[in-house]
Amino acid sequence: MVTQETDDLVFHKTCDLLKPYNKKNIALTMDTDIATELEIDSVAILDLIMEIEDIYGISIPMNLMADIRTIGNLVRAIHDLGGNK
Amino acid sequence: MGLLDKYSAFPERHKTILQGGHDPFNVTIDQVKSATEVVINGRDVIMAGSNNYLGLTFDPDCIEAGRQALATHGTGTTGSRIANGTYSGHQSLENNIAKMMGCASALVYPSGYQANLGVIAALAMKGDTILIDADCHACIYDGCLMSGATIVRFRHNSPEDLDRRLQNMDGEGSNKLIIVEGLYSMFGDIAPLKEFVEVKKKHGAFLYVDEAHSLGVFGDHGRGLAEQEGVSQDVDFIVGTFSKSLGSIGGFCVSNHAEFPYMKFTSRPYMFTASISPATIGTVNAAIEKIEKHPELREKLWSNAKRLHEGLQAAGLKLSAPASPIVSVEMSDEEHAIASWNRILNEGVYVNLAIPPGTPNSKSLLRSSISAAHTTAQIDQITAAFKKVLRPNPDSHIDAPQTGLVSATPE
Ligand SMILES: Cc1ncc(COP(=O)(O)O)c(C=O)c1O
Repeated sequence: MVTQETDDLVFHKTCDLLKPYNKKNIALTMDTDIATELEIDSVAILDLIMEIEDIYGISIPMNLMADIRTIGNLVRAIHDLGGNK
Repeated sequence: MGLLDKYSAFPERHKTILQGGHDPFNVTIDQVKSATEVVINGRDVIMAGSNNYLGLTFDPDCIEAGRQALATHGTGTTGSRIANGTYSGHQSLENNIAKMMGCASALVYPSGYQANLGVIAALAMKGDTILIDADCHACIYDGCLMSGATIVRFRHNSPEDLDRRLQNMDGEGSNKLIIVEGLYSMFGDIAPLKEFVEVKKKHGAFLYVDEAHSLGVFGDHGRGLAEQEGVSQDVDFIVGTFSKSLGSIGGFCVSNHAEFPYMKFTSRPYMFTASISPATIGTVNAAIEKIEKHPELREKLWSNAKRLHEGLQAAGLKLSAPASPIVSVEMSDEEHAIASWNRILNEGVYVNLAIPPGTPNSKSLLRSSISAAHTTAQIDQITAAFKKVLRPNPDSHIDAPQTGLVSATPE
């Protein structure tokens, strides 16, 4: 039996990874827009995605990036790729 | 958000960058005296930030070949390769580059950028998967996007990460194309090509190597890193540019696949743009001959590169890779990088300032690229400028205190 990691836990791990880019210390929610509300450039986002890929052993295709705007979108993508196990 | 709103933060960032004195991304070269000497703001400056690895831009034979082609065939072709833009020169250039690279056939593009766009987009399509090294050049990304294929980025120079990702896709049935570079333009590090070839074979993938910075730099024939590593036969597609070691402009792809020549009928950046000018063909053909007949250029390039690398290392600066013709000093942050770049320019040396997002891992770099045309004295002047401006501190790389320094800001 694989144990499911809840979206909630995925959300918290993602927020931990985003911390260094949250210079203004805003409250992170599922609706936080990663590119515009945090101070993170286009390449740093890709590097962050790579860390998430390492944690969950998945590959998030770059093609999905256009649709990943909020933290919630990212959590959903990890879920869909079977990463929250 | 309005159409132009995304530019709202630009004036502020540009202003910050300009505070150092010169505009690092808009330096105007008033005069080019030689492959290694330019005039900027009325001052003589050593060029240590070109990609003129073999120093061929002022080679008399290359200039003469360009001059002759210009006089004989005119200023431009005014047409694309599939219409009126294929001259005998384009055909002979494609033959020459294929022969030089030891491959069956070549396609020539107006730039290296377009070669990557054109070949990647012609190779892969929706349903295929492209796996690219995380540090690949922007034009490789753009080519991947244009192809419509699924794009997966793997950890820089990590055959293990590539292997793991391919493993997870096994049984999925899509075609796999792996893209890496030879010598990476920002850090000056090289790809572990032998290991990548093993992973490629294990998973039945295709391997594509961009040798933009390694052509003319590595290998007994100057073919690039794949030649040096003895894996040329295992690389399916090699892309290169005429804009660096060949000292001109244009790009190419070579391959032994029998289907490859037919890509010219589908590759849009090949079909829908004017072909390179006769003068360009002339200079590139002459430069190819130089690479073949003058291996001593490569030797001089490497001895210069090692001298600079050793000098900067001995000065206690943090360098991003072992010696290669690209020597990058890692800076603590963007602000120091900009200030130091200005001071080095005021010392009479132009290097490249590289800051995020143009760099991997959000690093700020002062990047030198070395030429076979640099004299030993020039290499030592470049080293001296770095030493004067940067404090030998391997951790912080903070600029030296003001004493004895030329200030970059007009006071
Ligand atoms: C790895 C790589 N590929 C392609 C290019 C593009 O080459 P070109 O300047 O000929 O368009 C560059 C140059 O910046 C590069 O560094």
